[in-house]
Amino acid sequence: MKKKIGFAVAMVLVGLALLSTRYYMVDLPVWHFFGGGKGPDPVTLHLQGEFVESNLGAAEEPAGSLTVRMIAQQFVFVPQCIVVPAGVPITFRITSADAVHKLSFLGTNYGLEAVPGVVTEETFTFAKAGEFKIPCHEFCGAGHYAMRGHLKVVPRDQFASLLPGERRTCEPR
Amino acid sequence: MSHASQGVRLRIGARWPGTLLVLLAITLLLSGRDSSAQKENSEPPVRIPSDVAWTEETLTIISRGDAFRGLLLARRCNHCHGEEGFSSVPGFPNLAGEDRLSFWKQMQDFRSGKRTSPVMQGIAEGFSARDAADLAAYYAMLPTASDPQDNRSFPQSMSDSARASMAIRLIVFGDGQRGIPPCQSCHGPVSYVKGAPPLATQNGAYLEEQLEHFSNGDRANDINVRMRSIARQLTAEEKTAVSEYYGAGHGPGVNSR
Repeated sequence: MKKKIGFAVAMVLVGLALLSTRYYMVDLPVWHFFGGGKGPDPVTLHLQGEFVESNLGAAEEPAGSLTVRMIAQQFVFVPQCIVVPAGVPITFRITSADAVHKLSFLGTNYGLEAVPGVVTEETFTFAKAGEFKIPCHEFCGAGHYAMRGHLKVVPRDQFASLLPGERRTCEPR
Repeated sequence: MSHASQGVRLRIGARWPGTLLVLLAITLLLSGRDSSAQKENSEPPVRIPSDVAWTEETLTIISRGDAFRGLLLARRCNHCHGEEGFSSVPGFPNLAGEDRLSFWKQMQDFRSGKRTSPVMQGIAEGFSARDAADLAAYYAMLPTASDPQDNRSFPQSMSDSARASMAIRLIVFGDGQRGIPPCQSCHGPVSYVKGAPPLATQNGAYLEEQLEHFSNGDRANDINVRMRSIARQLTAEEKTAVSEYYGAGHGPGVNSR
C-alpha cells in the first residue's frame, strides 16, 4: 500500500515537472493550453479578426494610445518594419501563424513571445528615437537565424505626419 | 375540447402585433447601434489575400486527389505546360513535381480572382475544387528528371555566371541583416512550409516575373504577406540572380525529390 502511494506521488511530481517545463518553454501560464480555442486560429489569421493584413501595423486607438499588431511566422515578422513614436506607451499585440517565436528588441530589455493560438499583449515605452533590430529569439525552424524585423522609433511630431488615418509601417512600398 | 384549443389559438393570435412591434424595435435599435459604430472608427477596408486557409477540411480535399483522373484532366493543360509538365516557353511555369498544396491554392486563387492572370483565370474557372485536387495529385507524381526527347525550355544557362555566388548566398543563407530568410528554408530541400512550391526545376523567367509582381504588389495572394515582405527587400539584381540560378537547374533539391 505504501509503495502504491509513493508511486502515485512520484507520478504526480513527474506530471508537475512536465507542466512546469512547458510553462518555462513558452513563458505562458499552463492554463492557456486548456482554454480551448479562445485565441485566434493560427491558420485562418488572414481571413477574419484583428490580424488581417490590412489591420497590421501601428493603429491609433480612440483614447489616443497606440496599438501595434504583428504576426510572427516562419521566417518573417509582418510587418517587417514597424514605426512608433518616442516617449509614448505602445501596446504590442502579436500572435504566431505557425511555431513559437520570440521578439527581442536589441538594445533594450524588452521582449515578446509569439505563440500560435494566443495573443500576447505587452506595453512598452521607447524613451529615445532610434532604430532597433528585432531578431527572433526562439528557435523556430530552418530559417530562424535570418528572421529579423526592424523597429524605427521616431520623434512624436514626426510620427503624426506619417500617413494619418492608416495603419503605419515603414515597409518599402 | 375544440372550444379550448380555439381560445388558445385566438390568444396567441392576439399577441402577434405586440411581439412584432417589440421585434421591430429591437431590430431598429441594433441597426442604429451598428451604423453609429461604423461612423466612429475609420477602419481601413479589410483586405483578404486568399480565401484558402490550411484547415483540416482543405487538407482533406487536397489529399483525396485522384492522380488518374488528373491525368485525363491534364489534357487541357498540356498545350502550355507540356506533356511531361515542363513548358516549352520560359515564361510559363513547370508543373512536374509541383507541391500539391501550392498547386491547389493557386488554382483556387485564380478562380476567385485573388491571383490575376488573363489566361489562367478563364481556364481555372473550368476546374472545380475536386478537379484541382486531382490535377495536383497528377502533377506531383510527374518525374523532374531531364528528358532530351521532350521539348522543354527548362535548363537555361545564366546570362551572367558572376551572379551565381549572389544567388547561392541568398538561397542557402539569406540575409540576416535585412531579415531575408534563405529560399531553401521554405521552398526545400532543407524544409518545406505549407503552400511554398519547390523551385529546383522551375523556369527562371517565370520566377523573376513572379518576384517582381510580389515586390510591386501586382501579385498579393500570399497568406500573411510572407512572400511580399521578402520580395520587397530584394534588389533587381538579386531577383535576376536567384531566378536565373534556379532556372539553370543549379538550385538545391533537383535530385533529392
